[in-house]
Amino acid sequence: MTQARELTIVGHPAPRVEGFEKVTGSAKYVADIPAPGALAGKILRSPYAHARILRIDTARAEALRGVWAVVTAEDTLRRGWGAFVQDQMALATDKVRYVGDEVAAVAAVDEDTARAAIDLIEVSYEELPAVFDTESAMADGAPQIHDQYERNTVITIAVERGDVEKAFAESDVIVEDTFESQHQWHAPLETIGSVAEYSPSGKYTIYMNTQTLFMARGRIAWVLGVSEADVRIIQTEVGGGFGGKSCDDNNAIIAALLARKSGRSVRIINTREEEFMAGSRPRVPMRVWVKIGFSRDGRIRAKQMRIVADNGAYSGKAPAIMGVSAFRHETSYKYSDTKTEAHLVYTNKIPTGAFRGFGNPSADWAVEQLLDIGAKALGMDPLELLRLNAVEPGYVSPHGNRVEGCELKQCIDLVEEKMDWKTKWAAKTPNRGVGIACTVHVSGKRHFMDYDGGSATIKMNEDGKVYILSGEGEIGQGANTVFCQIAAEELGVKLSDVSISRADTDLTTFCLGAFGSRLTYVGGNAVKAAATALREQLFEAAAEMLETEPRKLTARDGEILDVGAETSVSTATVARARLFRRGGAPLVATGAFDADSVMQDVTRYGNESGAYNFGAQAAEVEVDTETGQVKIRSYVSVADCGTVVNPIGAVGQVTGSLAQGIGYALTEHLEFDNGRPVDPNYHGYKIPCIADMPPLEYAFADSYEPSGPFGAKGLGELGSDPTAACIGNAIFDAVGIRIKTLPITPEKVLALLRERDARQA
Amino acid sequence: MPTIALTLTLNGKQVSAEVEPNTLLVDFLREGRGLTGTHVGCDTSQCGACVVLAGGRSVKSCTMFAFETEGLEVVTIEGLAPAVVGGELHPMQAAFREHHGLQCGFCTPGMVLSAVDLVRRHPNPDEAQVRHWLEGNICRCTGYHNIVKAVQAGGGGGS
Repeated sequence: MTQARELTIVGHPAPRVEGFEKVTGSAKYVADIPAPGALAGKILRSPYAHARILRIDTARAEALRGVWAVVTAEDTLRRGWGAFVQDQMALATDKVRYVGDEVAAVAAVDEDTARAAIDLIEVSYEELPAVFDTESAMADGAPQIHDQYERNTVITIAVERGDVEKAFAESDVIVEDTFESQHQWHAPLETIGSVAEYSPSGKYTIYMNTQTLFMARGRIAWVLGVSEADVRIIQTEVGGGFGGKSCDDNNAIIAALLARKSGRSVRIINTREEEFMAGSRPRVPMRVWVKIGFSRDGRIRAKQMRIVADNGAYSGKAPAIMGVSAFRHETSYKYSDTKTEAHLVYTNKIPTGAFRGFGNPSADWAVEQLLDIGAKALGMDPLELLRLNAVEPGYVSPHGNRVEGCELKQCIDLVEEKMDWKTKWAAKTPNRGVGIACTVHVSGKRHFMDYDGGSATIKMNEDGKVYILSGEGEIGQGANTVFCQIAAEELGVKLSDVSISRADTDLTTFCLGAFGSRLTYVGGNAVKAAATALREQLFEAAAEMLETEPRKLTARDGEILDVGAETSVSTATVARARLFRRGGAPLVATGAFDADSVMQDVTRYGNESGAYNFGAQAAEVEVDTETGQVKIRSYVSVADCGTVVNPIGAVGQVTGSLAQGIGYALTEHLEFDNGRPVDPNYHGYKIPCIADMPPLEYAFADSYEPSGPFGAKGLGELGSDPTAACIGNAIFDAVGIRIKTLPITPEKVLALLRERDARQA
Repeated sequence: MPTIALTLTLNGKQVSAEVEPNTLLVDFLREGRGLTGTHVGCDTSQCGACVVLAGGRSVKSCTMFAFETEGLEVVTIEGLAPAVVGGELHPMQAAFREHHGLQCGFCTPGMVLSAVDLVRRHPNPDEAQVRHWLEGNICRCTGYHNIVKAVQAGGGGGS
């Protein structure tokens, strides 16, 4: 927890660098990108959950006035694609596997014409038996969703570390239970969309609201059968991502196919209904059985877990997500002997995927409640049990995760203080209770192409102002502001003199993008490296002008000072002098960073991230025993994210992730009827509104990550990981019932209250 | 389809146009007038990203026909601070920027205009008033904490 020097920009509140555009309505989202003459694209989607396509007739659609192109699988290479398993097609080839699966698409002069043309495409289907839950999908004789996977199981993980049988035998108290979680949709206010152009030279240019540009480019190039250089992705302003815009869907690919066939620009913006039905890939539903053994003093001895995860119709990122659910918890608490079995199973529903937390919320929902159950069995205060087992610097998990910067215990201490835990835990007021839960998250993860890195280029203009070229991509979380702060701090210029590009695969260097809480840590380290390199050039030039040595110089607010000699020169003067002369050159530097993590082996062993961030939360709830309503009376959320680069932005991450955690816990659920979503909009899927949020207290642990930029590490995801379990634990404390399936609806609460009362009667 | 002649005051300027009877106000603004600061988040009147001021009231422009604004003064986010080029933001816009009442920014124009309507009716609103008034404006990013602070500051009640 040491800081080498006093910071003037990092650690101080900074308004968004793009805030002016956002409050004046001048920010350009994908639907706002001017594209003269752009056609409207519309997609024909499967009405069946599982069916064979016998015939597609597009003649009538093609003949409609105003239609420029109709595409089907005939227009594709029939090439499977996906982040880990290549099982998804751009347009359905032989079968459709969920309601919403893309079958054909149209580009026309306007939306109405495109919609009318979609209705003129005739598709003959042979309906097939469908499966909607993992148990049926794994049963004998279940319909095969993809031919090659027995029991519809695409991935199985089975790993034991240590000797679990022995560790359970040596345990004094053993508890076990099963918990289920549901789909959760990202539901950002802006749906997925793209504008694609195709040049006769063979190059595609796609304006996209993606959060992972270069990953999108790689996948799109693969599906189209072209080189990465033939695809340029330009990121528009992004109206929220949360994992849902990490290019696991077909929107941009279909726009590109239509642009090529029509020779015109094509814009496809998902409707809200499409977004729920077949747009962003919702959180992976899981059934988790978990058993934990404790020593008498409360120390965890053994853990065994069995996960069955609902993949949906195609794989996306679920294989990696299930791995996180299976193993990450062992980086929150000190474990030695653990055994996990996990199955990822196809069903005829929307493919699932990455959502803030990436497997942690589903596992935390189970394990953090079982720890609470364990504390009861041991007769311990659950907060003490968590504090006793919490990891500390120097810990290595059974799966190889190496914890260095870690203030989890401090987070628990702060929760205890801010919730007034001791008093409230002892109080036992009727129908009122408190719960606690903790979590861990990575700061970037090495799981693609043996790379956990980032890069950035920084140039100093002739006016001494600084411009960052970054391909990571701002999606609303505030990464660009953090990058500007880091560059300004390192270069010694004013924050207002630093600006940043939008991400563009042709203009910026390769970056993995916004996922895995990696931008502040990985992206920030890359920006800092570029700034350090640029400062060296700047100081070398300035030293020449001031007739001194670079090592004697410092910079602040755009002035480079030789403190000893009391001389100074402005960055603008240096930048001009460097450029406008014989043999002149601009001041520009590229920096790179690759985290000290390793690719995990087949048993998923290996230190997956360069740094781990932690969180602890406590909820105080009141349960209305007449209505089953759960009211959160107060909430405390504490994060260990190392140095807080932008305090006002960090608060937004904490409060925003909490809102998503509360939605996951209490209200977010979409009804399906035979695989068809019943009410796929904000009415049928209830996310928290402003009046639903409880009084909240937050805090950041005093923490410093040695490998982070100015001591910072990730923050974005940890805030919604433990929330559902935390509320579940508080409900148990309030009324003695344990809800085991999400969301916690008043109906479920009432049913269990009745059971409880019947038992007591 | 026969069109309807429409005259309104849009962001301080008188505008005349021919609109189809089924043209939604939001489409008239975005496509007819290029005012893309008014956003579409749901099309079903639930999210509030399309809120504009019409006749002094905040309305969801996805749920109103363009012809219904005949004779009204309509203000979109672009017109809230007309001298915005190098000039001053409206106090509510400035407060949202300063207090980080935004993240992705997609809900921001609707949120700002709803808040402007609130503080015209109730200067210096308390937290409960803010939370009650903005129930029809969804934000998925912020958890609303900084939005409440921004609205109170922009309404003259805060720092």
